[in-house]
Amino acid sequence: MRFNERELVSLSRQPSELAAELGMRGPKKGDVVKKRLVKLVVNFLFYFRTDEEEPVGALLLEQCRVEKEDSQTFSIAFLDEAERKYVFECDNEEHCKKWIDSINKASYEFMRRNLIYYRTEIHRLTGKDPLEQYGISDETRFQVSNGQQLKARDTSSL
Amino acid sequence: MRPGRFSGGGKMKLNERSVAHYATCDTPPDKTGFLFKKGERNTAYHRRWFILKGNMLFYFEERDSREPIGVIVLEGCTVELCESAEEFAFAIKFDCAKARVYKMAAENHAAMESWVKALSRASFDYMRLVVKELERQLEEIQEAAGGQQGRPKPSRRNQIARPKSGASLSSSSLSSLSSSSSTPSMTALFSAQKGLQDEVQLFPGSSRENGVAWSKPAAALANGFTEGASSCAAWEGSADSGIAIGCGADGARAPPVPPRRIGASLETPVSPGTGCFSKLHEWYGREVMEVREQWLQSQ
Repeated sequence: MRFNERELVSLSRQPSELAAELGMRGPKKGDVVKKRLVKLVVNFLFYFRTDEEEPVGALLLEQCRVEKEDSQTFSIAFLDEAERKYVFECDNEEHCKKWIDSINKASYEFMRRNLIYYRTEIHRLTGKDPLEQYGISDETRFQVSNGQQLKARDTSSL
Repeated sequence: MRPGRFSGGGKMKLNERSVAHYATCDTPPDKTGFLFKKGERNTAYHRRWFILKGNMLFYFEERDSREPIGVIVLEGCTVELCESAEEFAFAIKFDCAKARVYKMAAENHAAMESWVKALSRASFDYMRLVVKELERQLEEIQEAAGGQQGRPKPSRRNQIARPKSGASLSSSSLSSLSSSSSTPSMTALFSAQKGLQDEVQLFPGSSRENGVAWSKPAAALANGFTEGASSCAAWEGSADSGIAIGCGADGARAPPVPPRRIGASLETPVSPGTGCFSKLHEWYGREVMEVREQWLQSQ
């Protein structure tokens, strides 16, 4: 599958949510732990060899499950191949929890759910759709579910 | 620093199978349809089936193909109408060295406008901006109601792990509006990608989650951003969920938004002295309203 690699490399150099040197082991049998600079940018996890400018690789963090493996280790597995785990070793437990938390929140779908929650809640409390003023109420990506629209309670505005 | 590895070969790895799975899994796509895409080497336009999901634009040979031919990651890009022999043409442009321009064409005017709009707002950063804004609004509403909404504020954990690697301040920030020689309406309306990241980097003292500093009522910093953290999780009621409540600048009202710069496609609305989410979004909000009005008038 083709992808816009150059742009992805450029993205990997953007400011990150979280970055640290971790021990990383690939999902294949026989993969060993390697020291990598791991960097979380938007919904991607980039990993670099230390001191290299361009990443070895990237993981898109959608449809994945992050699990604590032990006190300092977490894993990422993707739902389509749940047995294959990428394993990451952190410096300490707090560090590990921070990574797990951050990765869980790094998916687009996670943000979308939050947005829908806030939108619905604000509408419930105020009778108004908060996205109306920005002209983006009809955007598919913000729909509550299955394209249902939020209607104003106040019928005079209809 | 060792030189870049891709000039000589050696492709960057990507979890391609899982990425392709995201395209066709059961989460609903944001937009689908046929578009013509200009080839990379071969300059002919090929008709492809496109699926936009989140910040990923997948393209398939046929509508019923099971695997995408390719994907375009939509971060750090702008979408513009463009001059072309091809009708209903637009382009996805990236702001990096030697970046590719993806030239596309829709089948009719309405489709072109619809795609340009959808693609302009597809980035993760844009979604993040909107979420932040709604969080802020909800917090305001709840505070106005005396904070008696029955939902306890989530416990706050301290931020640790500041980014170690070269998180450089990008000097060129992204456009909010792409300029176009044709209609002012359906060019990129909201493109809040690097602008947002710039903002984050401007406050090194603040800790962050999802790239955004959360504020706490106490210990406000001068710029309105404060240190703190909040737990934030999916709201469907999973075991450890708690909704993050973030604030933009609380306390004193922010100084006025800087004047809109017309036609400056790479300028940021956020300058070092005025970084603040509510202002940033106000700025975009006004932009959108103005463009929308122009469009309505032109109808």
